[in-house]
Amino acid sequence: MAKVSVLNVAVLENPSPFHNPFRFEISFECSEALTDDLEWKIIYVGSAESEEFDQILDSVLVGPVPAGRHMFVFQADAPNPSLIPETDAVGVTVVLITCTYHGQEFIRVGYYVNNEYPNPELRENPPLKPDFSQLQRNILASNPRVTRFHINWDNQEDRLEAIENQDPALDYGLPLSYTPAKGLALPGCIPSLLPENSMDCI
Amino acid sequence: MKLLKPTWVNHNGKPIFSVDIHPDGTKFATGGQGQDSGKVVIWNMSPVLQEDDEKDENIPKMLCQMDNHLACVNCVRWSNSGMYLASGGDDKLIMVWKRATYIGPSTVFGSSGKLANVEQWRCVSILRSHSGDVMDVAWSPHDAWLASCSVDNTVVIWNAVKFPEILATLRGHSGLVKGLTWDPVGKYIASQADDRSLKVWRTLDWQLETSITKPFDECGGTTHVLRLSWSPDGHYLVSAHAMNNSGPTAQIIEREGWKTNMDFVGHRKAVTVVKFNPKIFKKKQKNGSSAKPSCPYCCCAVGSKDRSLSVWLTCLKRPLVVIHELFDKSIMDISWTLNGLGILVCSMDGSVAFLDFSQDELGDPLSEEEKSRIHQSTYGKSLAIMTEAQLSTAVIENPEMLKYQRRQQQQQLDQKGATARETASASSVTGVVNGESLEDIRKNLLKKQVETRTADGRRRITPLCIAQLDTGDFSTAFFNSIPLSGSLAGTMLSSHSSQQLLPLDSSTPNSFGASKSCTEPVAATSARPAGESISKDSMIATSTPAALSPSVLTTPSKIEPMKAFDSRFTERSKATPGAPSLTSVTSTAVERLKDHNLVKEMRPRDLLESSSDSDEKVPLAKPSSLSKRKLELEVETVEKKKKGRPRKDSRLLPMSLSVQSPAALTAEKEAMCLSAPALALKLPIPGPQRAFTLQVSSDPSMYIEVENEVTAVGGVKLSRLKCNREGKEWETVLTSRILTAAGSCDVVCVACEKRTLSVFSTCGRRLLPPILLPSPISTLHCTGSYVMALTAAATLSVWDVHRQVVVVKEESLHSILAGSDMTVSQILLTQHGIPVMNLSDGKAYCFNPSLSTWNLVSDKQDSLAQCADFRSSLPSQDAMLCSGPLAIIQGRTSNSGRQAARLFSVPHVVQQETTLAYLENQVAAALTLQSSHEYRHWLLLYARYLVNEVIPMINLMSALPSQSV
Repeated sequence: MAKVSVLNVAVLENPSPFHNPFRFEISFECSEALTDDLEWKIIYVGSAESEEFDQILDSVLVGPVPAGRHMFVFQADAPNPSLIPETDAVGVTVVLITCTYHGQEFIRVGYYVNNEYPNPELRENPPLKPDFSQLQRNILASNPRVTRFHINWDNQEDRLEAIENQDPALDYGLPLSYTPAKGLALPGCIPSLLPENSMDCI
Repeated sequence: MKLLKPTWVNHNGKPIFSVDIHPDGTKFATGGQGQDSGKVVIWNMSPVLQEDDEKDENIPKMLCQMDNHLACVNCVRWSNSGMYLASGGDDKLIMVWKRATYIGPSTVFGSSGKLANVEQWRCVSILRSHSGDVMDVAWSPHDAWLASCSVDNTVVIWNAVKFPEILATLRGHSGLVKGLTWDPVGKYIASQADDRSLKVWRTLDWQLETSITKPFDECGGTTHVLRLSWSPDGHYLVSAHAMNNSGPTAQIIEREGWKTNMDFVGHRKAVTVVKFNPKIFKKKQKNGSSAKPSCPYCCCAVGSKDRSLSVWLTCLKRPLVVIHELFDKSIMDISWTLNGLGILVCSMDGSVAFLDFSQDELGDPLSEEEKSRIHQSTYGKSLAIMTEAQLSTAVIENPEMLKYQRRQQQQQLDQKGATARETASASSVTGVVNGESLEDIRKNLLKKQVETRTADGRRRITPLCIAQLDTGDFSTAFFNSIPLSGSLAGTMLSSHSSQQLLPLDSSTPNSFGASKSCTEPVAATSARPAGESISKDSMIATSTPAALSPSVLTTPSKIEPMKAFDSRFTERSKATPGAPSLTSVTSTAVERLKDHNLVKEMRPRDLLESSSDSDEKVPLAKPSSLSKRKLELEVETVEKKKKGRPRKDSRLLPMSLSVQSPAALTAEKEAMCLSAPALALKLPIPGPQRAFTLQVSSDPSMYIEVENEVTAVGGVKLSRLKCNREGKEWETVLTSRILTAAGSCDVVCVACEKRTLSVFSTCGRRLLPPILLPSPISTLHCTGSYVMALTAAATLSVWDVHRQVVVVKEESLHSILAGSDMTVSQILLTQHGIPVMNLSDGKAYCFNPSLSTWNLVSDKQDSLAQCADFRSSLPSQDAMLCSGPLAIIQGRTSNSGRQAARLFSVPHVVQQETTLAYLENQVAAALTLQSSHEYRHWLLLYARYLVNEVIPMINLMSALPSQSV
């Protein structure tokens, strides 16, 4: 059984201008104290076409982690626009939050991200070269896609089990096989979406 | 009969392998396949029962789902108490779940839709032992054990009080074990496997009672499960898949001689599950018809691979109802509601059906009382078949019952504590950490969170802990406790600056205590005969310390006001380190004592709650705090210490001294109406009960009834003692309330509140004038003509009342109990009048009257016993079952060979030596216990071992004890 389960990820400051840093407030629960740190990463998928354009925005170690419920804010700088294919700058893409323990990924949370010009004029007539300073990023916070992997949480046990459990074929937790991002049937009115999965439970 | 298929109960189309209704009937659990894992779901029952609730959007249908099993869940079972849920699955694990009182509902993060978990269920234990899929799990009556069976061909018995302890692994099946059922009387457990056998195991020694194969000879191992069931009256065991004349049946096995003469016939394919209705029924009396007494009968539901369900009454030859085509696939599990009128059935096709019967159809269910009477008339008295109400008043006849009662009391207190906490927390702000609401914390989390750089320059964030991990007991308390500590410390400081407060950690600068110097070595309270008023005062901390009985206290000004009750929750002394120990009290004994005096303790608690809004509320809200609690408290405080939020609490101080809490002493005095001297050791004292009954023996049937304060003669209340022996009855009256009674086939004795012990013959003749005991009675025991009295002051006496001689005279248990938190867990008096004390640390001592010594006869941790391997010398399986006092004490841990097998690495010579030493010990112990049978057994074993393993043996022979008993 997983020692760490993610209880919630709240997307802070959403929507926000493209150049603003990403901020996720992550709360998780740990059933047994961990001997080592967790490693969290934010990966920005530059292009749905290829992994080549993935950017690791940041990675942090989180620890020590005693048993209990914990939370922290993971902040990472905005993606480097120069690494994003121009054709993919505007439209829907994906941001991933992953967590690994002992180098094994056990959870992957994916969000759809819609980059668009809030200005209706620009929206109608987007500039040929994307103007990132005008772009607004909107994370579809209400609909995280969570994929959990079974990993080996103990050192002493042979790692075989973990390898078995980790399906190498698993790409992202998201169905990234869709035809170019624009074709993705997202609920129409993304800008109006509010981050509703906040921790109202607490 | 009404039939409903609630379509909303589903695992998204995946098969549902198991269903179980919670004992309180408000919810039920399903287990099966999830998306890519096993899945357990807890559902609300009321939408199943009532259409209005089903339509009401505000009534949740799903309460909680758990995806923690890595693979398909084959079985979910609620404990009888309803507190736990056990689930077993293809991942070889059994998980035990308990409801957590988290702060509110939360969603399973990332699960699509808005499926909120209305309830939080937390996995409190993961039981790992099986090497294959777990097929079935079952809680024993009264939740003492949990059994699990697996495709690894074994059945494992877990200690449900102490997970993950394994009590036994039942080996014997040669095929996948696919079903389990406990005898309702607790004597047996039955398992059915693919090896075409059904095996019944004894719970006494976990050995095979019988293996039934005949009805299964024609069976093919093709069913997913073989869930068998035992009838609630204990008379019948009904198997799953059996064959009769090439037709599938459910075989009825009679308890009497395990006869297999009857079966339920009619299903066209293999029977997968049989489930008896928990109720016993009797014919509904029709108005006008003559009230002819009819035999009570049972009701049983049978589910099959043929997708149909049949319901049978044992008084009818044909099924009451058969429902065909209820599902698209095989029926996997059935669960009755506790009232016996409804059943939930689940199927491999992923759906669930609910059947609702009326009393007209099934009959009038017998009350628990009546059911218990049936049990008792058939099986005599035993733990498993007593109802809750009886148990609380029944006389403890065996350690299980004692344990059960204790546990029961603890649970009640826990519950009380929990309610108290809940109310307390309801009044204050919930969700507060450090005096800040979670909202505030969240606003500032980014700024506040500690971020460092590791050596290699990486960012490292220390997460903010927002809740302790709990099992439902502590989190809210924790939340409330923290913000208060600071403010309380402040007020305390200002108003009681003259008082000494123990520092938690003098190295911490802001430690409250540290600001007040406090080095006086004062054993503040130990021998203080504190009256209720004193403890109250000190607790409220309003009166000046000088007001505290200065005559007794040498340095009254140094009493720390909180300590008085602190100690009661922590069982730690309040003496300052370094102070001389005035009295040492076995803390456990004090705990027990308190257990009896809880009512008393409630009072100061109320007082305190009203008076100060202190952080001490946390422990206070749990007056019951016994050892478990204590642990938690310590954990809690340690936790806080870590966070640099130390408190003036004395609880953390590692004290080596123990001083009896004054309140406990007082209360105990009150309860005893006696001025007992201050005692070094304290054993629990039975509290006075209004009435109780004690079964002395079942053959000849003999029981004692006690009724306290039945008649008042001129203002004096009399207590009545009644003894019934094979129908012959005698009774007598005593002037003092009877605390405990004991009897044997020769004598009956009772101990009264006035410290007197009266002994009668079984015909009712008073054999002696009342014996005055040196201190209140703790335990009384009779064997033959021997009477043993263990007093609260931990002295032991044994008399032979026929020969009128003392066997053991006021022997103190000090030497065997001293030092640690040990208590006496079991007491035995052999036929020869030799007392044996089983202690909580697993050691057992017998008192040797001729030498006046305590002799160690058994030690659970004895490495000799664990290493000794003499299996080769065991004549046969039966010889292992040599019974006698030694076997009882050692709890049949004689399966030591198993342990030895694991220690193969032990050199042969060493093993031989340990085996010899062990056998020597056994021979000597049997001799000391004067147990001739066992002496013979062990001596024979020893001899055989020598002959088999040790050559030459001549030299050793001379070392053999020459005595014979």
